Amino acid sequence: MSAAWAMVRHRFASFAGTFVAVFLGVAVVAGSATLYLSSRPQAPARYDQAPVLVTPPDPGTGDDRDRRAWTAEEAAGLAARLGAVPGVAAAVPDPWFYVQRVEAGRPAGDPQAALVDGHAWSSAVLGGYRLTSGRAPAAPGEVALGGTAAGPATPGAAAPGKTSPDKTTQSMTTTDDQTAGGTTPGKTAPGKTTPSRTTPSRTTADDRVSSGATSGKAAPGGATAGGTATAGKTGAGTTIEVLTSAGPETWTVTGTVDGPGFYLADEEARKRASGVHVIGMTVTGDVPRVAGDARTVIGAEGVVRSGAERDALEPVSVTRIRWLGAQLLIALVMLGTFATVFVVASTCALSAAQRRRELGLLRAVGATPGQVRRLMYAETTLIAVFAGLIGAPAGAAAAPLLAEPMVRFGLEPAGFTVTRQPVALAGAVLLGLVVALFGVTAAARRASRIPPLDALREAAVDPRPMTPVRWVAGVLGAAAGGALLAGMSSFPLESQVTVGLGAAMLLLTAAALLSPVLIGPLVRAVAGPWRGTATGMLVREGTLTGVRRVASTAAPVLATVGLTMLLAGMVATIEVAAGFDETAKYPEANVLVPDGTPGLSTAAVTAQGAEPALTTRLLLTHGDVTTGGSATGGGDGLVLDRLTAAQLQAEAGDTVTVRFVDGAVTALPVSRIGDEVGLPRELVRQHDPDALTSIVVLEDPAVPVIGARALPVHDFVMEEVEEEGRLVDLFLLALIGLTAGYTAIAVGNTLLMATAARRTEFRALRLAGAGTGQVLRVVSAEALLAVATGAVLGGLVAVVSLAGVRAAVENEIGRDIALVVPWGTAAVVTGVCVVLAVLSTAVPVLRRAG
Amino acid sequence: MTNHETPAVELRAAARTFGSGERSVTALDRVDARFEPGTFTAVMGPSGSGKSTLLHCAAGLDRVTSGEVIIDGVPLGGLSERALTRLRRSRVGFVFQSFNLVPALTAAQNVALPLRLAGRRPQRGEVATMLAEVGLDGREGHRPPELSGGQQQRVAIARALVSRPAVLFADEPTGALDAASGAGVLRLLRAAVDRHRQTIVMVTHDPVAAATADRVVFLADGRVVGELPGMVGAERIALHTARLEAVTR
Repeated sequence: MSAAWAMVRHRFASFAGTFVAVFLGVAVVAGSATLYLSSRPQAPARYDQAPVLVTPPDPGTGDDRDRRAWTAEEAAGLAARLGAVPGVAAAVPDPWFYVQRVEAGRPAGDPQAALVDGHAWSSAVLGGYRLTSGRAPAAPGEVALGGTAAGPATPGAAAPGKTSPDKTTQSMTTTDDQTAGGTTPGKTAPGKTTPSRTTPSRTTADDRVSSGATSGKAAPGGATAGGTATAGKTGAGTTIEVLTSAGPETWTVTGTVDGPGFYLADEEARKRASGVHVIGMTVTGDVPRVAGDARTVIGAEGVVRSGAERDALEPVSVTRIRWLGAQLLIALVMLGTFATVFVVASTCALSAAQRRRELGLLRAVGATPGQVRRLMYAETTLIAVFAGLIGAPAGAAAAPLLAEPMVRFGLEPAGFTVTRQPVALAGAVLLGLVVALFGVTAAARRASRIPPLDALREAAVDPRPMTPVRWVAGVLGAAAGGALLAGMSSFPLESQVTVGLGAAMLLLTAAALLSPVLIGPLVRAVAGPWRGTATGMLVREGTLTGVRRVASTAAPVLATVGLTMLLAGMVATIEVAAGFDETAKYPEANVLVPDGTPGLSTAAVTAQGAEPALTTRLLLTHGDVTTGGSATGGGDGLVLDRLTAAQLQAEAGDTVTVRFVDGAVTALPVSRIGDEVGLPRELVRQHDPDALTSIVVLEDPAVPVIGARALPVHDFVMEEVEEEGRLVDLFLLALIGLTAGYTAIAVGNTLLMATAARRTEFRALRLAGAGTGQVLRVVSAEALLAVATGAVLGGLVAVVSLAGVRAAVENEIGRDIALVVPWGTAAVVTGVCVVLAVLSTAVPVLRRAG
Repeated sequence: MTNHETPAVELRAAARTFGSGERSVTALDRVDARFEPGTFTAVMGPSGSGKSTLLHCAAGLDRVTSGEVIIDGVPLGGLSERALTRLRRSRVGFVFQSFNLVPALTAAQNVALPLRLAGRRPQRGEVATMLAEVGLDGREGHRPPELSGGQQQRVAIARALVSRPAVLFADEPTGALDAASGAGVLRLLRAAVDRHRQTIVMVTHDPVAAATADRVVFLADGRVVGELPGMVGAERIALHTARLEAVTR
């Protein structure tokens, strides 16, 4: 190890490639893992004062949407029993429903969060929320208005592009004076008669002030409810416009609350909610004991959750945002790891080749092959640990900077904060070490076979550019990658992109391994016309005798060009396919779709003269089989689709037990077997009062209503595609940025290493009468050759992989689609590589000259 | 000569050819040679006579195509690369024309390298004594680039001798040095033979250097073609070499 340390200290420059690669890799992995681990599901903030929560039993259908509910009566009964448990201060059912504030004629805030923003006044105690002014709601049409505790709503948390710009602000702003940002809601004079609408121009400043003032309380989950944040200057006695599942309503504010949400009188909330999904308990005694007692009391009628189990209650909309972010982070870690292995392997090979004499000398003075190998491993370990120890904190330090953009782009829920993740850092350092050792394996094996006599040879002419191992590994990699591409359509659709990426990684590795074969012919062909000139001759012979060196410098170019072309092309191909796919479903007509809302209210649909097509979830039981599924309101009896009927072994005429989302159970005869599950609309409305309509096909011109807009089917589809495309573009940008940045650094670095090591050669050239210009021409030409080799091979891999992806997509949708090869991207990336290559070869030469 | 002792190195019909078929070159043509313990032998011959190949094969750095090489009683033929390395490490020292010190290591670390590679921690003072013996006391901490050519070669000799090898091979040890430094190096080698009964085999084309040896072996076209005692002096050795070169030409 001491010898390794001496080597590293003395020749740090030749280890710089490994260092940079591991540093970047570890930083990317540490940062991504920190973000990933920081984003854990969390119980909504409105349960902050309820350490024990009870939910209905899991029906066991394996679908999260089938979390059943209690009816209001059931819930009330259970709450009464739970309230009697010693140590329980209060057991409160939390019925929720859709409410969204209407401001300046438009629905405000995050539509998904709005689905659970309406509450019963009694449930405010679960979050420890209190009235800050006025009185509690008592009659229909009365509301206690919250919204001061939450952070500002973020447009990104909503479906982006569709949400109107964030007009929500905090009620704390009583005047335009910015000091008002620090005032508490309590100081908002109740009943103060001021206009209740905000002006959009105020948002930025208010957001900043209010988020600063409330950051302590703005927890993930809870903060999304901030989408309901009320307009400024709303005090008791004023009225507000809201949108509910029934339609637009006007409510009278009786008081203000220091937590987010809309609080209605309990009876009113019970009527609006589709059952009760949570009973929360405030506790005076020991939490685990209370939870245990509650379990005994409730038995099989519910699931008692305390501690970390509460976090399972995170709203689905928030969980989905986290999931999206996690996809990006996983992809980043994957690409980062691959790039590290790739770059470490190629720089280690290069530096081992450069140190041939030195390693031969060690062999001559008595180092066994094993000792040489161990020396290389020891050196790499030192470098990797050192690079990791710097890289991991760097990544962790960069992670919080990414939190804000990720929230803005809808990849993390609002209020997302990055926490310290020591496990992520340790894991990243360890991964960096393992990956670096993996990368150096091939080079170390090769180095250990250097004969001791090599110490005595002066100039190292590359012996055998292709070794049997290289051939075998290269051909195997190509075969495996090809097989993956060919068999891609047999993988499930959602994993096909990953499979494509994996195949491309295999093909890229194979191309890098086999590149020496191509370099010879390429050099002869390109340098042919200039055979007679000194430059031509020098470039030709220089590259032909240093094939491995050229291969090493071409490898990062190969990875850069290949991966960026592939990523860009893959997305373009899938987008083309998706566009086709979606339009096929819809006729030439106009549709009414939600505008800034999670769905269409009943009023919005009936205004068009249409009937709301309500969708709800049902739990169906026949015999001892239970299954869950979506059902549409319409028709005059219970209709089952063939699949459900088969699962339940039910036929027309059989009686099936139906459990509605509100928890009510009835037995209904099956009227017939049809294409989809359906039941009378009145039943849906009755048992799912909170149901919304997702889309209505219009026959007549649309009647303008709040929270809805009409547009041609085609436009709607294009918007949906663009919506998806926007996210995909974002992913792509992040991935391409990472890959290109990473490999571009490697391109510069390997060329710098390769050129710096050839100083003696250049000195000899100068002594033989070459001017600096001529030397420069020679090295630039060689660098360009390396870039050309990498670009050609990378392009080849990308085109082959893209053809594979296209074949799989065609197979999937059963239609021919065009192969999209992003030539523009390829040209830009290659251009960047050329500039980098020329710069990094010219700099060492010029420095010698100057 | 003391024939009843095991020779430090012995070559029996050792042959080495490079390449194969029509274009093959025979560098060593069935050479028989013995190097007795405690003797100093110089190997001379025109360029391409095979003297370097003889040295590499005798030192176990290169393998013979046919025949046998025996170092300190151990035939090299059947040894694996690992076993050969170990044998070389313990029984063979090597001094190169271009010093070949590891630039990353100090003089002391370079000298200790063979011991450390053998998994042995150098004893207290062992390395310092060795450096003092070659006249470099006080230079332990210097790295090769901070030393003169002659000093670097002395470090290389100390490194070659530190494991008390059965034989020390020197390949043109004075080739890259000026006359004064070269003479110093030769005195060192001579002293090692006289004081410690070190066996030395040295390839050189310098008659003055050859004259330091006990005997001079002449090589031409891969064969031993003559032998002179070193004490005959540089002039006679030079004469012999000139005659040989004239014949070969």
